[in-house]
Amino acid sequence: MTSLHQTLRARGGDGATIAPLPFGVMTDDSGLVTEDESVEQRAARFERDALPYLDQLYGAALRMTRNPSDAEDLVQETFAKAFAAFHQYRDGTNLKAWLYRILTNTFINTYRKKQREPQQAMSEDVEDWQLARAAEHTSTGLRSAEAEALDRLPDSDIKDALNELSDDFRLAVYLADVEGFAYKEIADIMETPIGTVMSRLHRGRKQLRTLLEDYAIDRGLIPAAATTDHEEGA
Amino acid sequence: MSCGDPHEVDCSEVLETVYLYLDGEIDHAELGRIRGHLDECSPCLREYGIEREVKQLVARSCCETAPEGLRHAVIARIRVVRAEMTSVEFRVD
Repeated sequence: MTSLHQTLRARGGDGATIAPLPFGVMTDDSGLVTEDESVEQRAARFERDALPYLDQLYGAALRMTRNPSDAEDLVQETFAKAFAAFHQYRDGTNLKAWLYRILTNTFINTYRKKQREPQQAMSEDVEDWQLARAAEHTSTGLRSAEAEALDRLPDSDIKDALNELSDDFRLAVYLADVEGFAYKEIADIMETPIGTVMSRLHRGRKQLRTLLEDYAIDRGLIPAAATTDHEEGA
Repeated sequence: MSCGDPHEVDCSEVLETVYLYLDGEIDHAELGRIRGHLDECSPCLREYGIEREVKQLVARSCCETAPEGLRHAVIARIRVVRAEMTSVEFRVD
């Protein structure tokens, strides 16, 4: 656990003067990264292990920021921070979750503050009537047809609906449904208790479903007559 | 919310755990109990079907490919961070 190696290497000045280590193995049998890794080796390891997550992180960033330009900035910032902290990452642990945590943190600390979007829509106070509405659907007996109708919605509708959710709800749903993270991992990424994750998923999905059902009605995929409860309050 | 028929597991209990079920967050025994209920209760099965559909729709619609230039931009950015790291003394605590 000596930092001497790196301190000396760091003093070497520009990258060209840094000689590669005489051995190519950067992890020992227990999977722990040795401290003898040069910055160059770390960069190679980073490009090999972390960079393949570029598309996924961009997708998540796009859902978070809701616009491509901010998403690109966010991804760049995330990779820069991740590389700077990569010596803290340990092989064998969950790299994807680690990167998502940095992404989420960066988003919360920079972009969300910056955005202050006019429509922090679908907040908690509209939740109750939506839940009640969703509950009513159960008695309509049109579930299977409805599932089929939802399946015919274009991807753009699903993205639009996601964009209407609050940041926390949207992100929880995204992490669970797109990335397939376990609740425990989502709790780590969002730095909240698991109970909060479950609550965000629950509410986010209820809102999402209500929105999608509305879109399906608007597109004539679900007959409005069969779901008259949609008309009120919409 | 109930189909009115008697079940070993109550409909409300199933509907409450529908997300846990979909997300694979319940243990094996519980999974069997819920699955057993879904097999015999069509209203709950329909409800489950909708929730599963919404989950799948999100997964389906959110597959993105990063713009062409982003990879290069990221690599260039890493190079900058790297240069800073090698030119400034740093410590690993």
